[in-house]
Amino acid sequence: MQDHGVTLSLTQIAPEPARAFYLNRGFSIADAGIYADACVYMTVLRNDSAPGEVNFRVADWRVESMGQIQPPRLLEDWMALWGQRGVSEPSRIAFRWAQFPPEQEYSPGEWNQGMLAIGLSADTRFTLIARWQVAGKDYEGRLENVRCAR
Amino acid sequence: MFAARANSARQLLGAALMSCSVGLTAPARSAETPPLTHGLTPLPNPSAAPALALPDLDGKIHDLTALKGKPVVVNFWATWCPPCRREMPSLERLRQTLGSRGLEVLAVDVGEDADTVFAFTGQLEPAPNYPLLLDRDSAAMQRWKVKGLPTTFVVDAQGIIVFRAVGGREFDHAAIVEQLTRLLPPQ
Repeated sequence: MQDHGVTLSLTQIAPEPARAFYLNRGFSIADAGIYADACVYMTVLRNDSAPGEVNFRVADWRVESMGQIQPPRLLEDWMALWGQRGVSEPSRIAFRWAQFPPEQEYSPGEWNQGMLAIGLSADTRFTLIARWQVAGKDYEGRLENVRCAR
Repeated sequence: MFAARANSARQLLGAALMSCSVGLTAPARSAETPPLTHGLTPLPNPSAAPALALPDLDGKIHDLTALKGKPVVVNFWATWCPPCRREMPSLERLRQTLGSRGLEVLAVDVGEDADTVFAFTGQLEPAPNYPLLLDRDSAAMQRWKVKGLPTTFVVDAQGIIVFRAVGGREFDHAAIVEQLTRLLPPQ
């Protein structure tokens, strides 16, 4: 999606490589599986030529699927879950910094690439609605009919 | 407003890309790879750099305050971060270009151990010849208010952060070299 000078892309990370990534960083098979099966995407958001600094919070984004609307699975929820499940601090640090930032500001040319779990099951189709602000003005972009493959 | 469709082929390509990226093999490149940016963001309200004193791979402490009087590029990164991996050789080429004029480079790895960082950087060409510091508990990243990797700051000779770069950069691009040259004493 390229809109209003902003580019957003989702590239699915299949469950097996997602699981392997977190197993390599100290997660248990069960914990890595919880994340890997939550429909994970390598997410890139970039301010190519917006008329100012882009500000966003992932908590403002929405996932539409089968008549339901919800935000993507939020980083703070994952961190709380890992705390409850006793995931080690080094593993939680690796997890935190591998995720797409929960909030960020991008001047023109700035961007991030990180993992974002949509929170749907495999074979589900969804629309991601991304929202951001530039100079106090609200913008929205949609990635439609995205399929979460197995 | 318009919508884009993510098709199956793209998703398969993405899976392959990440198989490379998460496996710590050679840096992955494809049409999906975002371009590295060719500029630094000047900060409208420059502020003093937070404290930074961390061990390198040999355990030697490097303190940013000891570099006062020289501009310093402070790069926050991790070995598993694809754009960090792509930009790292250009950081060394930048050091080779401007290091003799006084520019210093510090790279701060988050959350990994010395063996992991050493194994990765040994694959790079050119290999980094600047200090690789270890921020094992990510306390420095939080002090510097880093929100995502890679993030780079440029601290001027007075210890003030004057540029920021969120996302991967081609640090030896002429535009960035020109921005940094302005921080150096005239030749």
